[in-house]
Amino acid sequence: MTAVATAPDTVTTPRFRPHEVFRVVRLHTVNPSIFFGVPWLILGGALVVTILIALILRGSGISDSEDGFRYSWAVLSPQWYLVVVGVQAVAYTFPFALGFGATRRDYWLGTSAMFVFVSFEMAVAIATLVQIEQATNGWGIGAGMFDALWYGIDGWWVDFYSTFALQLLVLFIGASITTVFMRWRMKGMMILLFGGIALLLALIAGLTFTESWPAVFDWFGSIGLVGVFTVLLGLAAVCAVVGYLVIRRATPR
Amino acid sequence: MLRTAPDGPELDESRPIFIQIAEQVENDIIDGTLPEGSQIPSTNEFAAFLRVNPATALKGVNRLVDDGIVEKRRGIGMFVTAGARARLIERRRAEFAAQYLRPLIVEAEKLGIDIDELAGLLRAERIQS
Amino acid sequence: MTRTVVRASGLTKRYGSFTAVDGVDLALEEHKIYGLLGRNGAGKTTIMQLLTGQLFRNGGELEVFGREPAEHADVLRRMCFIAEAQRYPEDFTPAHVFKAAPWFFEHWDAEFAERLVADFRLPLKRRIKKLSRGQLSAVGVIVGLASRAPLTFFDEPYLGLDAVARHIFYDRLLEDYAEHPRTVVLSTHLIDEVANLLEHVILIDQGRILLDRDAEEVRGSATTVAGASRVVDEFVADRPVIGRESLGGLASVTIDGRLDRDERVRAAELGLELAPVSLQQLIVHLTGPEPAGAPEKEVAA
Repeated sequence: MTAVATAPDTVTTPRFRPHEVFRVVRLHTVNPSIFFGVPWLILGGALVVTILIALILRGSGISDSEDGFRYSWAVLSPQWYLVVVGVQAVAYTFPFALGFGATRRDYWLGTSAMFVFVSFEMAVAIATLVQIEQATNGWGIGAGMFDALWYGIDGWWVDFYSTFALQLLVLFIGASITTVFMRWRMKGMMILLFGGIALLLALIAGLTFTESWPAVFDWFGSIGLVGVFTVLLGLAAVCAVVGYLVIRRATPR
Repeated sequence: MLRTAPDGPELDESRPIFIQIAEQVENDIIDGTLPEGSQIPSTNEFAAFLRVNPATALKGVNRLVDDGIVEKRRGIGMFVTAGARARLIERRRAEFAAQYLRPLIVEAEKLGIDIDELAGLLRAERIQS
Repeated sequence: MTRTVVRASGLTKRYGSFTAVDGVDLALEEHKIYGLLGRNGAGKTTIMQLLTGQLFRNGGELEVFGREPAEHADVLRRMCFIAEAQRYPEDFTPAHVFKAAPWFFEHWDAEFAERLVADFRLPLKRRIKKLSRGQLSAVGVIVGLASRAPLTFFDEPYLGLDAVARHIFYDRLLEDYAEHPRTVVLSTHLIDEVANLLEHVILIDQGRILLDRDAEEVRGSATTVAGASRVVDEFVADRPVIGRESLGGLASVTIDGRLDRDERVRAAELGLELAPVSLQQLIVHLTGPEPAGAPEKEVAA
């Protein structure tokens, strides 16, 4: 009674679909506080605290050396939060995007693009803030937040590169670990955790017994700052690829 | 037009709905609520009013069309055909004996009421109503 | 000539040793409202997740709009799956959800969504985490309705909605469906409420299809015969029995099929009472516990 059409009525579209990938990026930015608001709030807060402490120290006459007050790790304060962002990008946004009809491939491409964009934006901002801090001699009162750790030594481009690499790694580590949970749930996480610890211990043991630690440190020394961060960037890329391979067959529940 | 309870139309859950829709329209034609030549509600109107699937309402209306009770006038709507009432009454008459009389007789026999007593009861009941 | 939008044959999904979907054959046509009925855990959600590419099948074949649904954007774009336990990104509000919806559903009607938000009294700016169960369901229902996707799945989305809200949903669904026909699949165990909306009924039990028929055909397709046990049993001797209840010397047996006029007369003469069976009752009989001594229940599709 009813005739049936058997030919597929959908057109085969090209492999790379910018619209589908871009809408995942937009999905991540619908609520801008997650990727932009909170990290800058954290940095802003750290800066305020740094300045306040510097003022207090100045005021009480404790420190009037040219070094001023340096809160060394403040510049890295948003990183913990950004690991969580990476985790939640997969834990919550992935099931949501899938539920709305995105493919896993487009989701990962879009999320990776978002990570690259955020890392780029933060790297530009922080590298620039380092320059400003140096130029104003620590915001006029010798307070050092951005000009700390490895920053402010080799110029804007190195600062930019190192921040970009670190940021990307932090985001992708959180995300790729969560893909394991999405695909293999608790069992997978356990294997990852114990496997990871076992591997790490084996590595440390191996290096200790072959007394290779000095060689390792020398090597890091020889490749310099840029080299170290290139390694981190490489790790980030590995996480991105592994994450994609894992999420390809992940299910939202 | 369709008799409904205050909170919504009453439909018998255990009989096909399209039959009930057709029957309701037929009843209204027979008792004069829907004169010949008048328009009946559209399929979507039935569906919305009774809160049923439009396809079901369509089935009911199509049944009326197939029976010649209602006809479609393109672009305007569905109308009661001429002679529909007469046709319906004739059909109901033919079914009357089987549908109403048979069960009546069976029950009467069960209670031991013979044919004459039954006729008497019928007349008495008729006068009362 | 109607088109088939979903075609599945031998569809299977296993979780370890548990078979959630067991060789299901299915054909869904366009412009129909389907009811996917069955008990909790019968496999309704799993089937919908397979059809929408959220899960990967273990066996059989599946075509939606002519292709495998999983990972095919052209197919996924034409579907909307409203799940019972939908997760939303951290700190999302309904406003965020409705802002993102048009990017994924090309037929999204923002005005319709607005009207529905008013109907369901949904607080747009409150975080999803803070919404009540009913409000959360309302978000899903609004997306499902306003998406106007050619193939829309509602997986028990009305859990948490109070009776008034549920009936608002049914009304809006019917209204919009009449104006914008599409294929809708409603899964539910609240059968009596949706029975009148359905055009076609698919009953699933333990991963298998028990019933796959036009709703109007099913309505009134079974009969309950009640009276003295012995008389009833003799009367239904060679008919397919799908349910049985007894109390003392009385029995009420549900059989598949209607009785013709002669049989009805005979039943009346034997002092047996006949009653028609609603969709809800039929399904309870088909998926309930096996009556003692009755053969395996299989109703022809």
